[in-house]
Amino acid sequence: MDRHSPPTRPDTHEPRPRNPLQRLYAAFESPGRRRALHLAIIAILIITPWISSQYTTVILTNALLYVVLCLGLNIVVGYAGLLDLGYAAFFAVGAYTIGILTQQFGVNFWAAIPFALMAAALAGVIIGGPTLRLRSDYLAIVTLGFGEIVRFTARNLEITGGASGLSHIPEPSLFGWHIDSSIDFYYVFVVLAVLAYIASQRLFDSRLGRAWLYVRHDEDAAEAMGINRVATKLAAYVIGAIFGAIGGIFFSVNLGAISPESFSFQQSVLILLAVVLGGMGKIPGVILGAFIVVLGPELLRDFGTLRLLIFAVLLLLIMLFRPSGIWPEKRS
Amino acid sequence: MGKFLKLIASAAVVNLAAGSLAMAQDGPITIGVQVPTTGSEATYGKDMYNAMMLAADEINADGGLLNGRQIELVTGDTACDPQQSVNAASRLASQEVVGVVGGYCSGATQPTLKTYGDANIPFVIVAANSTQLIPANPGNAVMINSTGDDQAKTALEFFEGKDIEKLAIVNQGDAYSQDLANLTRDAWTGAGHTVSAFEYVNKGEQDFSALVNKIRGSGAEAVFWTAYYADGGLLIRQLRQRGFQGTIAVGDGSNSPELFNIAGQAAEGVFAFSNPTADFLPAAKQFTSDYESRFGNAPGPYAPLAYDGMQLMAWAIDKAGSTDGDAIIKALNSADGQEWLAGPISFTPQHTLARSNFVVLEGQGGKWTRYEE
Amino acid sequence: MTWYDSFLQQLVDGLVLGSFYALVALGYTMVFGVIKLLNFAHGDLYMTGAFAGFGGLSLVSGFLGAGWLGIFVAMLLAMLAVGCLGVVIERVAYHPMLGAPRLSILITALAVSLVLQNAALALTGGQYTAFRTDLGFGGFNLGNLFLSHNQIVLVATAAVLMIALELFVSRTLYGRAMRAVSIDKDMCRMMGINVSAVIAVTFFIGSGLAAAAGTMAGAYYGSIWYFMGFLIGLKAFTAAVIGGIGSITGAMLGGLILGLLESFGTHIPFIGSEWKDVFTFSILILVLVFKPTGLLGKSEVERM
Repeated sequence: MDRHSPPTRPDTHEPRPRNPLQRLYAAFESPGRRRALHLAIIAILIITPWISSQYTTVILTNALLYVVLCLGLNIVVGYAGLLDLGYAAFFAVGAYTIGILTQQFGVNFWAAIPFALMAAALAGVIIGGPTLRLRSDYLAIVTLGFGEIVRFTARNLEITGGASGLSHIPEPSLFGWHIDSSIDFYYVFVVLAVLAYIASQRLFDSRLGRAWLYVRHDEDAAEAMGINRVATKLAAYVIGAIFGAIGGIFFSVNLGAISPESFSFQQSVLILLAVVLGGMGKIPGVILGAFIVVLGPELLRDFGTLRLLIFAVLLLLIMLFRPSGIWPEKRS
Repeated sequence: MGKFLKLIASAAVVNLAAGSLAMAQDGPITIGVQVPTTGSEATYGKDMYNAMMLAADEINADGGLLNGRQIELVTGDTACDPQQSVNAASRLASQEVVGVVGGYCSGATQPTLKTYGDANIPFVIVAANSTQLIPANPGNAVMINSTGDDQAKTALEFFEGKDIEKLAIVNQGDAYSQDLANLTRDAWTGAGHTVSAFEYVNKGEQDFSALVNKIRGSGAEAVFWTAYYADGGLLIRQLRQRGFQGTIAVGDGSNSPELFNIAGQAAEGVFAFSNPTADFLPAAKQFTSDYESRFGNAPGPYAPLAYDGMQLMAWAIDKAGSTDGDAIIKALNSADGQEWLAGPISFTPQHTLARSNFVVLEGQGGKWTRYEE
Repeated sequence: MTWYDSFLQQLVDGLVLGSFYALVALGYTMVFGVIKLLNFAHGDLYMTGAFAGFGGLSLVSGFLGAGWLGIFVAMLLAMLAVGCLGVVIERVAYHPMLGAPRLSILITALAVSLVLQNAALALTGGQYTAFRTDLGFGGFNLGNLFLSHNQIVLVATAAVLMIALELFVSRTLYGRAMRAVSIDKDMCRMMGINVSAVIAVTFFIGSGLAAAAGTMAGAYYGSIWYFMGFLIGLKAFTAAVIGGIGSITGAMLGGLILGLLESFGTHIPFIGSEWKDVFTFSILILVLVFKPTGLLGKSEVERM
């Protein structure tokens, strides 16, 4: 095989879409229709807060945050095939860097963002570096350990505010627009989710995206084909980390306060759950997963203490009936 | 993708609309209860919810509020997570609750202050007492639990009274117990004494043997546990099992009678800093027995405060004479120091509890008794 | 206390803690061995086991008392009950998923964990339950070293269970089948081994061991609650990986090492016990960096 030719990729056309969602999606096959669909989605996202309650706006904002986080984790897990049980660590690094710089050192929010991204990228290298030799189950525990180390460190240090965390993180302004209401933040997260979507799509189609596919498929063969395994995996970690950090950056200013509880192991697990539930590697699937894990428990609030029990049973049923996720990626 | 996004969005809208139709002039008065009912803190959240339900039922049985309108509680489960808390708070706000009572985890309570502030909903914060909540309060919230400062002062006086020099402080790494531990440490070293061990345990960790050895090895004459009764009970057991003879005291998160259930014999002679709860006020005695007969277990550490919080909210609504947010907030802040289960309530200009009436309790015969020096 | 006494005390306490971790880690590792699943619901089986043991004890304490004899019988009952629960979970939740991507089974396990945890929350009302026994605080003082009777019984029970397991796996037909299945399921099927039955037996034993640990922990520490499986599940997972996941001896070794690490981690000079877990996880990462398959694990090529 020529070293530059990608592995066989089934065309985007899926021969027999199995569920209604896929059938619906397949109807928007041509680029023109696809564009119309995208515009329609954006229009819906823009209109929603004006026709719904504040509660809806808040939980949709939360769902959009999860879209960013899940698309980020999807790069690590779905694209590169690396199991990560400590993704909340990157989310934490972004949030805490912003919190510390803006609240304790008075740095402007926008000026602090590059530092937060660099910190996250560095964290991606630190976690990626030693783990490149590891196979998935060991990777799982190392990333878990890393996530816990970050959380414990945030809890123990003075600069991170200890267990109480940081509060009064100032809200940012953009060209005189003071971003502070829940609707303002909703739109910020709409923009972030759209950017994350575009970036994910571009990465998927890129040379790097194909390299990830190779590595996930067969690491040794990929290496034999001249793909730099180390650089490819590291790139997944670093890019995933940056997605996570972006989520964390805006999460911290949205809530105005952060504390270690937000970055627990359960948080990492929930993000992973969304990715696998929706369909690893498949962008619309992952987005669907993000919406399910955020909206599911919210829609079940009327069940009180039982809401998580019901949610868990539903999850179990979904996984049993759709073992590869609701909307799986076909090309692996 | 658009279709299902829309589907989900509209499902959510329908769900909310159904909730927000409830309010009418003569219908029930809806009060939000913001507590964790899932996750690892659900134990305390359910406890608080039960106490509030008891209060609401009593008020309803007495003819309700504002000419016979009944109180109806709606729960907002925070799971002790800041983001979930904001979700719960916005939902309560969208359901147009008249007021909200609750707040257990400080970290999860803080971001909700803005939500209620924007919607001008009166909020009685029952348990959360981190000092960080004070500047974040837009003015619609009152805190009825004393902050850690008062308790650290009580601890300082108590240990000095016992001629202790070397103190070991143990917390659980959460906002409340870490805050209290830090404040006590600062007060203790500030008064010229030694903190011989300053330790953390994880919630749910059952084996404290290494920690106990360390405390004993440090030569501590007394141990101060700043967190909750469940893990505190285990720590006390293991301290006594391993022959620690010194003084043991616990903070107000551990003053539940349940401590005796878990620690058993080892809890005899343990001291607790507490609001004058349960057994010391006639009204509280009634509360304890009502609670036990209805829910089958002893009220937890924040049950009396939760009960008070609901009663205070009801009192304020009654005093305001309407369900108008501003009027209720004004009424809340005018609380005039009358006696509730956990003592008198009136507020400072920062909307925190005006008094410190911590007392020292001692475990004797499987229950708390008032300790007189 | 001299540093030597203190060292010995840490050693003893670390071993006691480690034997709990080892018992729970064994279940993790056995299940991983046969179906390559990180069974995240395992910690919750430990919790379920503690409640089953509590129920069992209140059943038998009337005529056997709540001393070690009663606890032992309660433990056997709990092992039986939770062992069956483990088999049911495998049949209902994992078995239909065996052909699915491995991460999907992992998520199924997480869902099972959530179900168990929240069911226990709903059933117990979230309350801590006091696990009352007639066990005393007595023990031996060897110089400055303290060793309680309970600790001795605990470690002995754990050791007996582990030796029994080791004998079962190495000497019996089922044990041999279990090892064969962990190497190549398809080949076993072709050789006429009833793979489903072997998997069921593995789940039964793994869950039973978790229940044994849960009951003993309940009796030893004195209180149980719906969330108690979370932390130990995480730690047993860590222990299993340190030892080399899939290796039974490795799980025992990993459990003991983790217990010792935590015991000594509390005492590191200059930094407080708040860094104990950071210390433990850092050691874990270092172990895996230098020995990527854990201490006793075999390397194998695998795909997600």
